[in-house]
Amino acid sequence: MSPPTRAGARELLESADDSLLDLVDNLLNRGVVISGEVMLGLAGVDLVYLRLQAVLCAADRVAERAEP
Amino acid sequence: MRGGPRGGARGTVSRVYLYALLSAAPAGETGVGISHEPLRTVTADGLVALVGDVVEPPAVSAEALRAQDTLVSRLAGALDAVLPARFGTVVADDAALTQVLARRRTELMQALQRVAGCEQMTLRIWGERSAPMPPAAAGGDGPGSRYLAGRRHAHERARRAAELDGLRPALVGLVREERIERHDRPPLLATVQHLISRGASARYRATVEAGGALLAPWRVSVSGPWLPYAFGETAA
Repeated sequence: MSPPTRAGARELLESADDSLLDLVDNLLNRGVVISGEVMLGLAGVDLVYLRLQAVLCAADRVAERAEP
Repeated sequence: MRGGPRGGARGTVSRVYLYALLSAAPAGETGVGISHEPLRTVTADGLVALVGDVVEPPAVSAEALRAQDTLVSRLAGALDAVLPARFGTVVADDAALTQVLARRRTELMQALQRVAGCEQMTLRIWGERSAPMPPAAAGGDGPGSRYLAGRRHAHERARRAAELDGLRPALVGLVREERIERHDRPPLLATVQHLISRGASARYRATVEAGGALLAPWRVSVSGPWLPYAFGETAA
């Protein structure tokens, strides 16, 4: 299995439709987080970066659609 | 069930991948996880964790995200309460998992109770600019007081979505809990998560669609029902 990368995350978000963006937002930005000995297994993926990209990507798509 | 790190193929050590916390163990077959690993449950002091054994956590992809959401949703239908885990959560072994669950049992049980019988709807608020907040109270004369008043105002603002005020009367009785995240990056101004009773999503959508016109100049889009992803936060 290839390790997750920031480029992979970007590719995912750039190809995402609106329902996928909500899925990305829910699964990567939300969901119960167990801290302590538990580690997030997403080496190489900056969640803050993902979050920003998801928001911007969603905003850009709606802006395009809203234009006549 | 307890266990140490398990030997995987060719002697590699597997870890425990967390899918969700459940109100009870599923009655039937749990099936397989997103890495095609058999799913199993780990029970710790009344908390049930749905897990799989993986050598590596799955890579982020649309397919993996969908697969995880689908398999947890499938099991959630037959259970009273499910707290979906954030994608990519792995622990070293069952002992580490049970330790964390035992330590945080009270808050996790509270979160499970919060989402029992519920699902999540997501509203996004769109517009050119955010609704204005009432001005901050003067907060006294000194710079310290003014600073604290400003902090409080900012804190309150982050938890408000005044853009939805026109819709709120219609949502009374539908929405059990609410979480607000402001973005303030027009056109996306805020994301609002609503916890509603299972089966109420059609009524929720109809209510939002009927009341949307009242929100001008703001627009809202709605998605769901989702697992209660935004409501698993604990006391922290």
